[in-house]
Amino acid sequence: MTDLAEGLAEFLSGHLGEPVTVTGLAASSAGARRGNVLFDAEVPGRPTLRLAATILPTAAIELNPITAEAAVRNLAEEHGVPVPHIHAVCTDPGFVGGPFFVSDRVDGESVPRRVLRLVQAEGIGDRVAGQLGEALARLHAIDPARAPGDLMDDPSGNPAETALVGADRMLAELPLPRPALALGMRWLECHLPTAPPRRTIVHTDARNGNLLVSARGLEAVLDWEGTVRHGDPMQDLAWPALRMWRFKEDGREIGGFAGREPFVAGYEAAGGAFDAERFAWWKVLGTLRWALGLAGQSAAHLDGSFRSIVMAASGRRVPELEWDLLMLVRPSH
Amino acid sequence: MQYQPSAAELLAAIAELLEDDLLPAVPDALKHRTRVAANLARILEREEALGPDAARRERERLAALVGGGGGADGDDAVRLALELARRVRADDDPGFQADAWEALVAICRDDLAIAKPGHDAWEGQ
Repeated sequence: MTDLAEGLAEFLSGHLGEPVTVTGLAASSAGARRGNVLFDAEVPGRPTLRLAATILPTAAIELNPITAEAAVRNLAEEHGVPVPHIHAVCTDPGFVGGPFFVSDRVDGESVPRRVLRLVQAEGIGDRVAGQLGEALARLHAIDPARAPGDLMDDPSGNPAETALVGADRMLAELPLPRPALALGMRWLECHLPTAPPRRTIVHTDARNGNLLVSARGLEAVLDWEGTVRHGDPMQDLAWPALRMWRFKEDGREIGGFAGREPFVAGYEAAGGAFDAERFAWWKVLGTLRWALGLAGQSAAHLDGSFRSIVMAASGRRVPELEWDLLMLVRPSH
Repeated sequence: MQYQPSAAELLAAIAELLEDDLLPAVPDALKHRTRVAANLARILEREEALGPDAARRERERLAALVGGGGGADGDDAVRLALELARRVRADDDPGFQADAWEALVAICRDDLAIAKPGHDAWEGQ
C-alpha cells in the first residue's frame, strides 16, 4: 500500500502543481476486475480532500478506454445523474501499475446485501428505486452525440438485434447442449422488438451492487466501464430488474428495493418513456446472456485461461439462470 | 468396492472442514473462495445422493419429447438434449412448445435440487 500511496501522491502533486501527501489509504469493495481504494489527500493550506481511486491492473481489461469512461461519467453528472465527480484520469501505468482515475469519495454502501439491510432498516426501498429510475431518465435524455468519441458504440440501428446475434453465437459455442437456453433464444427471436424510437447512452450495469446508497437514498451510480453510446434505453431499466440482483428479496423486482411502480414512476417523472414490452424482452435477454456468461466462466476455468474455483463454480450456477429464464418465458396457453 | 465412508459422506466431511474450521481461520482475501469451495462440496454431496435418479428422469423426459432414446448412457442424454435444443428453435407447434417448457421446468427442478435447493420456490418474474 505504501507504493500505492506514493504513486497517487506523485500523480496528484503533478496534477495539482502542489505537494500532496496521501494518508489513510484503504481498499474498498474489490471488484473482480478493478480495484477501488479510498484515501485522504493533504495539500498545505487546504482542507483535506476525501478521494477515491479506481485502478485497473492493466489497460488490457478495459471495456471502454478509461478516458471515455471518465468523460461519459462526468457528462452524466452535468445532466444530474448522481456520480462521484472525477477529478483526473491517468493512462500512464507508471504511477500505480495500471490506468486509473481519481474521484470524490462519497459515503454509502454498495455491497448488495448491506445495501438491502440499510434500505430495509431505513424504509427507503421505494425512494431508492424511484431515484434509480430518475437517474436513468436523466442519462437517457442526453444527446448521444455529446458522448466521448471513444465510447463503445453499436453501429447497427437496433441494439436488440445486435444483442440477440451475440447471444446466439455464445449459445452455439456451448460445449454441452442446454435446451432451456435454446427455448429462451427462440422466445427472444419470436419477440424481437423493432429499433427503439430513440437510441440513447446506456449505462448497461446500473444494478444493486453498482449503486452507492446511504440512509438518505441513492448517492451514486457507479461502474461506467460498459457504457455504450447508442443503446435501447429499456436495456438499462430491465437489467436492475433481474432476479439475480434481488439477493433473495424476490418479491421486490427492482434490486430487492421495491416493485416496478416507484421505479417506472421515477423514470417517467424525469422525462423517460417506459415501454413494458421492450422491458420484458431485455429482461429475458439479460437473463439468457448471464447464463451464457456463467457457462463461459466455467469454460475459462477448464481451458486454463482463468483457472479459479469461483469461475469453476459458475458452471453449476447455470440452472439458476435457466429457472429464471423459464419463468420469464412461461407459455400463455 | 471401497469401504465406508461413501463419496457423499466424505464430501460432507470436506464441507464441514471448509465451513467450520478453515473459513474462520483463513485471511479475508481467501474467505470468498473458501465459501465457494464449501458450497461446491455440498453440491457434490447432493449430486451423489440425487444425481442418478435425476439423470434417469431427464433421459425419460427428453426421450418422451423428441422420441428415440432407449439407450441409458450419458451420451444418449447429450444426444437427446441436442435434439431438443434444435427442435425448440425449429418447431413452432404451440403444443410442442408448451410440452417442452413443462419438461424443461421439471428437469431444471431436478438440477436445482442439487445445485441450489430452494431456488425454484419462487415462480414469479
